[in-house]
Amino acid sequence: MSIRLLALIPVAAAISLALSAAVDAVALPLFLDTTGTILATALAGPAVGIATGVVTSAVNTLRNPTFWPFVVVQVIVALYAWGAARAGLFRSFRTAVPVGLALGVIAAVTSTPISYLVFGCTTTGGIALTTALGKALGLPPLGACFFGSFVSDFGDKAVTFALVTSVLHALPRRTAARFPWALRAIGVA
Amino acid sequence: MKSLTLEHASFWYPATEAPALRDVSLEVAQGEIVALVGALGAGASTLLLVAADLAPRVTGGRLTGAVARRDRSGIVLPTPWTQASGMAFTVWDEVAFGPANLGWPAHEIARQVDRALEQLELVPLASRDPATLSGGELQRVIIAAILAMDPGLLLFDEPATELDAAGAQMVWRLMRRLAGEGKAILLATSALDAVPDVADRVVWLEDGAVRAVGAPDLLADVAVCEAGLGTSVATVWRASGLPGPYPPTVAHAVRRWR
Amino acid sequence: MTRLHPFTLLTIAGALPALAWVLPAPAGAAATAAVALVLTLTPGASPGLTGIGSSPGWRPGLVVLRAALLTAAPFWVFLLLLHDVPTTIAIGLRITTMVASFVWLVAALEPARLVEAMVAAGWSASVAYLFAATLTAVPMLKARAQRIAEAQRCRGLSPRGGIASRLRALRALALPLVLSALHEVDERALALETRGLRPGIRRTTLAPPHDPVVERAARWVLLLACPAALVWRLL
Repeated sequence: MSIRLLALIPVAAAISLALSAAVDAVALPLFLDTTGTILATALAGPAVGIATGVVTSAVNTLRNPTFWPFVVVQVIVALYAWGAARAGLFRSFRTAVPVGLALGVIAAVTSTPISYLVFGCTTTGGIALTTALGKALGLPPLGACFFGSFVSDFGDKAVTFALVTSVLHALPRRTAARFPWALRAIGVA
Repeated sequence: MKSLTLEHASFWYPATEAPALRDVSLEVAQGEIVALVGALGAGASTLLLVAADLAPRVTGGRLTGAVARRDRSGIVLPTPWTQASGMAFTVWDEVAFGPANLGWPAHEIARQVDRALEQLELVPLASRDPATLSGGELQRVIIAAILAMDPGLLLFDEPATELDAAGAQMVWRLMRRLAGEGKAILLATSALDAVPDVADRVVWLEDGAVRAVGAPDLLADVAVCEAGLGTSVATVWRASGLPGPYPPTVAHAVRRWR
Repeated sequence: MTRLHPFTLLTIAGALPALAWVLPAPAGAAATAAVALVLTLTPGASPGLTGIGSSPGWRPGLVVLRAALLTAAPFWVFLLLLHDVPTTIAIGLRITTMVASFVWLVAALEPARLVEAMVAAGWSASVAYLFAATLTAVPMLKARAQRIAEAQRCRGLSPRGGIASRLRALRALALPLVLSALHEVDERALALETRGLRPGIRRTTLAPPHDPVVERAARWVLLLACPAALVWRLL
């Protein structure tokens, strides 16, 4: 791994962790905690993306210990983003947003067993309350837990993909050309 | 003895058609300070990266011509917060970061670090967390960190940007001391008033090419002043309508006036 | 506790939650939770990386315990909302073990010692860099995000309005932050390269943490105890 890609990983991980300030400023129920992972993958490939996801989870765990079991989700997000980058799906919002919505489903499917088995679906207050709503609607426990994770992940991943698309298109060509996957991700190379 | 030699060097950044450096030939001898001056985008920073063997190796791009380095180089970039290692939680450890990466024995690292901290008047800050320092303090730490690696060729890209007047003066005095010890120094700076007291030679860059080379009084040259790169004294002298040649410094102006 | 080798601290913080999940509930989880909570009271467990604060009325030694209890408490509330009492107790004790273990770890672990321990153990300097550099980059980017938000608020950014306008506002906040951070990647790479950080280097350890044989043996015992407990549980 080149020194530039090594330098990218902590920056991308820190982006994921710092975007909470932006989210708070606009009062939207989003996490954007996979932004750095998806961005790093789109710029530099799956190894860098996975490393970013693992580092993000490790550092996030220092703030909230319940994040660590979900490191698997970060790895799957990186692999999914790699597929999207290979197919040039960051070329416009029209391709990126549906792909992000699909990732929301996959992320919810991946995180539900972890949330259910490890935390009894209480990972966050929002997920717990949405799970309670699902139970009240007559869903079985695992289904209610999936409902809680889905509501949280669906929009979040779509917005994340849209944001990464914006970033990739806003990068000067000279800067983008220095990252091995950046131009391919937006369908140029 | 030449520490750095560039012969007809041209450089293109990735995905750009226009070269950032065009046919640049330059030599820097041991014990010499050469100042690069030019407008924004003239290519001074790029030339430093090429001299440091970071372009194209780290930046990517394409280099033609020949670059020969006799000594190990160390480069100080303008923005201190991106140069901090991120792995050090005290100033002492930050300065020791480079020598530790070189695999030097611990006692040698301690000697070089203590010496560098003294040179940059950082001993009182040795146990501080770099994240708590001001921009100027951190820039001095970065300079110390490069010096601690004992490079023979020192490359400075706007080293005084974050420093106050006293800090900048300290750095200029340090450069002269280091040149006296045999270091070769290539300095890109927009602190034009300091150049006559610091540099032995001045290279004027324009659009990536060498426009002129000369002694520091080049910064009082008519063409240089017209390009906005003259010293304050030369610029004021010219603006006052006084006859040339323009004096580059106050001392020169006083001598002319008398 | 801060004088324990960093790998020992990590092993304890990792083994306790693992044992909490493997050992039969509620007794096993209660035991591990008790151990984890007692650890938060040990000398040397002090406000650490995440700036766990203190408040009047709490003795300094109880600050870490308070942080652990406050972090774990909401989980108990949500568990009661979703599950019956026995399930709440079982999962609640496991989560409490995990939370208390990690809160204690954050308070007891010094990042500088961990970096030195990784280098002394022969880990790649790049791996040590990834963890440490992220820790130092996060507060810097957070502060920058705050400044961008304040600047945009001066220009009329408001959290009011529909989803579409808030998403546009989010883009106005996030894009400058991300682009400026990416621009810095190049400079960081140049700085690291010039200071000799390259893949495969053998870095000198400046202050390797003392690692007695007893601690190394204890780490192995703890590590082996987890799969052993799992095997015992399955049989």
